[in-house]
Amino acid sequence: MARTKPAPKFLNLIKIKLPPGGVASIGHRISGVLMFLSIPFVAWEFGLSLESEQSFRDVQQCLQSTPVLLLSLILVWSLSHHLLAGVRHLFLDVGMGVDKTRANTTAWLVNLGALLLTVLYAVTLL
Amino acid sequence: MSRAAQGLRAWLLQRFTAIYLAVYLLVVVSVIAGRETVSYAEWRDWLGGPWMGVGTTLFALAVLLHVWVGIRDVLIDYMHAVWLRLLFMAATALVLLVSLLWVVRALALAAIGTN
Repeated sequence: MARTKPAPKFLNLIKIKLPPGGVASIGHRISGVLMFLSIPFVAWEFGLSLESEQSFRDVQQCLQSTPVLLLSLILVWSLSHHLLAGVRHLFLDVGMGVDKTRANTTAWLVNLGALLLTVLYAVTLL
Repeated sequence: MSRAAQGLRAWLLQRFTAIYLAVYLLVVVSVIAGRETVSYAEWRDWLGGPWMGVGTTLFALAVLLHVWVGIRDVLIDYMHAVWLRLLFMAATALVLLVSLLWVVRALALAAIGTN
């Protein structure tokens, strides 16, 4: 076998330019893991909200505190991105929008759509 | 089911639960959207009712299954030490099961409370 130069590995994360589909894909993963990590907290607060009048009010207060509101921004982005990327994925599964131009367009729609929904949510908080 | 079909089963499970999760969320968000304040009694009666009670129990179950498939995929991809992967998978299962039971318990209490 001929000696060739080793394949280049661009592990410099700043140098890597992911195509929009790649951003949608890794975003799908990251958003999924973030929502998974939030499950214990969300389930805990949900249970408390149904426990009693008093615990319901405690939950309301907790959800309106600044750190939780900031956290909710991350979770709204996660849910939006995961949902949009998931719908795109289902269409790709059945062979729709697989060609490069349309796959690129829908990837942009997913990536920007999730950010847009997050901004809209942030505005309602103000 | 054969070993080869197990991957397909997980793949299908992830997609079917995804569709239910999406539909439930869209329905619930559109019902909630625009409502400013809710009292405890309204909240409890809403979730204690048959539709939301059953629908939300199914939602919690779908979340458990969907997350299990997803996190398992992530762990298989990034966590190569087998003992560490098994440890994380066990922890994931524990977190998901406890969360599910806590949510279903609350829904059951709400259903009793509405009567």
